[in-house]
Amino acid sequence: MQVQVIEKLKAIPKIQKYRYGTIFLSCLLFLGPLALLPRLAGNTDLCGRLCMRRFYLYFPGMNLEDFFTHVSVALIGVVAFTTILVFTFFFGRIWCGFICPVGGFAELVSRSLNDRWKIEFRSLPQVQIRYGYLATYLVLLPALGISACTLCNFITVPRLVEALSGGVTGLAFIFSTIGLVNLSLLFLLGFFASKGRAYCQFLCPIGALDGLVNRLGARFGMTHHIRVDKQRCTGCNVCARNCMCGAIKMVDRVAVVEQLSCMSCHECVDVCDWNAIEWTTASRNKVPKRIKKGVEIHPEPDWQAVHFLPNKAAVSDWKRVNWARVANGLIFTMATLFVAATTLLLK
Amino acid sequence: MRAILLHIALLLLGFALPVPAAERHSDPDGCFSCHGLPDLQYVDENGVLRVATILKKDYYGSLHGSVPCKDCHRKIEQYPHKPEEGYVDCSQSCHVNEPSKGKAFTHKDVVEEFKKSAHGSGHAPGATKDFHGGNRLKEEKDEQNPSCRRCHSNTPYIVAANVAKFKEEFHHTDVECGNCHQGETWRNQFSGHILRRLSGSHFSKTEINALCKDCHADQALMEKVKLEDPKTQEKKPADYRWVHASDSYAKTLHARLLDAGAMEGASCLDCHATGGNRHKIERDEQVGASTHLDQLPRTCGQAGCHGYANKPFNEGFVNTDMHNVDWLRFDRLLLLLREKRLDSTWFKALAVLGPLAVLLLLGSLLWTPFGKRKGAIAALLGAERFQRVIIGSKPNKSGKKQQGPGQGLLTRIKSALGGEKPSQPAAPKNNPAQASPAPADPIPAKEESQS
Repeated sequence: MQVQVIEKLKAIPKIQKYRYGTIFLSCLLFLGPLALLPRLAGNTDLCGRLCMRRFYLYFPGMNLEDFFTHVSVALIGVVAFTTILVFTFFFGRIWCGFICPVGGFAELVSRSLNDRWKIEFRSLPQVQIRYGYLATYLVLLPALGISACTLCNFITVPRLVEALSGGVTGLAFIFSTIGLVNLSLLFLLGFFASKGRAYCQFLCPIGALDGLVNRLGARFGMTHHIRVDKQRCTGCNVCARNCMCGAIKMVDRVAVVEQLSCMSCHECVDVCDWNAIEWTTASRNKVPKRIKKGVEIHPEPDWQAVHFLPNKAAVSDWKRVNWARVANGLIFTMATLFVAATTLLLK
Repeated sequence: MRAILLHIALLLLGFALPVPAAERHSDPDGCFSCHGLPDLQYVDENGVLRVATILKKDYYGSLHGSVPCKDCHRKIEQYPHKPEEGYVDCSQSCHVNEPSKGKAFTHKDVVEEFKKSAHGSGHAPGATKDFHGGNRLKEEKDEQNPSCRRCHSNTPYIVAANVAKFKEEFHHTDVECGNCHQGETWRNQFSGHILRRLSGSHFSKTEINALCKDCHADQALMEKVKLEDPKTQEKKPADYRWVHASDSYAKTLHARLLDAGAMEGASCLDCHATGGNRHKIERDEQVGASTHLDQLPRTCGQAGCHGYANKPFNEGFVNTDMHNVDWLRFDRLLLLLREKRLDSTWFKALAVLGPLAVLLLLGSLLWTPFGKRKGAIAALLGAERFQRVIIGSKPNKSGKKQQGPGQGLLTRIKSALGGEKPSQPAAPKNNPAQASPAPADPIPAKEESQS
């Protein structure tokens, strides 16, 4: 048994070891009885001034002044959130994959559990669910009067870790009705989700907004993101199996990274035998580099971060509806209309 | 020093001489001739030893340091006096002139407001006719309404923490404003007094909360409280939600912000006594109360708070439960069985999610030592879909139809129950390369080492 565990640990690729290490370290720094970083701001949890999830909530009739009130309340959180977004633009979602103590804690626990008793969430239409929930979270929850804090993993995980270390606040939270519901969700979407990142995939507003920036950043050649070289990809689908976010999909036997979901965790880079996927900038020179006796050897890879999904159906069969796009469009339109209507009408 | 010694000596002798230099610290009635004595004690009717010594230093340094004793303790006419005659009615005017109007200062407004509040009703018979709760010597145990003194002890004029700030500001007014406004009166009554109100010893939000929690956080005490039904005038024990109001408040972001030292959070009084003298704390059923449904948009939309609360479509926001008992500890919530609040959405959600989570937890724990590890290990739920949607080498168009019934959880359960083999998917015939459901699918060794 012990040998198995050690061998398993040894078999973890180097970057992943590094990544688990940083997550573990950030768990120590952010969570639990120590909570060193929050304590610098006088907090013991990630709430209040450190909250990164509330200041962008939209309340009907809200004006800029109200927004700045919200910003001033959670100033540290706002600064942290902005830093994360800027970093994401240039380097991918390093916060989500390498640092985030909340998603990371669930992932570490999930990875240390057996794979049998888990739920596979990665194949669900995550973009639609995530941005549908984000729209609900930003626009509908405030209007309905459901406190955004009641379904927040940034409360649950720190409290759970605190409770495990014998903390009283944590225990009191965990044994409340809301705490138990949140704990169940953490179990179902975290510990017992395959790869443990289902909460990040579906419900995390920070991740959702971060994903948008990631996608935007991936459009630029000079930024570091997970990119695929189409010519090298053999379609062996190992990366798609291992991707913890379900961001890689095999389309026509070529891996396609969906940048809205990708966390730049480098797992795919580690497992790819063909160096076809890499955390890199787009190459500038697309002309084959070495040509020897008419044979192309290792052409300069064409790293593509964003593939346009081959939508042949749209051309050949116009009746075929792309429901994913319809759903995205509806979510976006409804949310925009609601915000526009309330801001314009309630002046 | 000699002057003080002499003074004390004279007092001891019974000569109540006016102290020349102490304009602010006057004792015209000579109360200190006895009460200034150390160890002035008596045993009251309950056999409790009571200390009647007033420390001059404390009294003169207090908020009422410049008010002569008899301005408040009016019933005391002669020596010796009964302890009951010492009762104080805070609504009476005292002899200190309010600088703005020149009239005798009075707490009458505050008292009037307080009387109308939830705390002001139904005082037990006390010392004075009108206002029993004014300043009782002791809080009666079976009395559920607080007196003035329950919250306002005669606090130091400037609390220690604010002394430095006050001194600095006082110096500023003395130098800058003192060019024109000269004289002791202005200094004492205007600059000193106003500054004290501005920076001196106003309760901070945390101090306000501490005051309220002094009683309201004591659940055993609160359970004894009987509230009057506004319609039937019937007195009923307070409900669970009311008893634990202090607890449930502590879970809100308002309280958590204050706890962390961020003063943006709302204190009890910020919502429960918004205007006036901040003593009008009323039950939320009371029409016109700041926490009444009709008033909530105004209360939440106060300056510096949630300005948008006044606008339409914010009914939901305004009605957000700030004393949500679902945040409370579950063992206390079991009491809710009495209160019939189990229809809460959170209980319903828990009834669905909780068992699922427990099932997975037990399964996972038991499977680690006892489970079979032969063949590929796939997730319990959704593995087939993952295979089809994410890995599937063919586009879904053809794949979906060919896949047929997969060996999902349901199929497996059926086969286990009925003992019959699940119907094999038709796919292998047509497309052997692609269609192989997850459990039978040989997963590459590399992935196993990962997980």
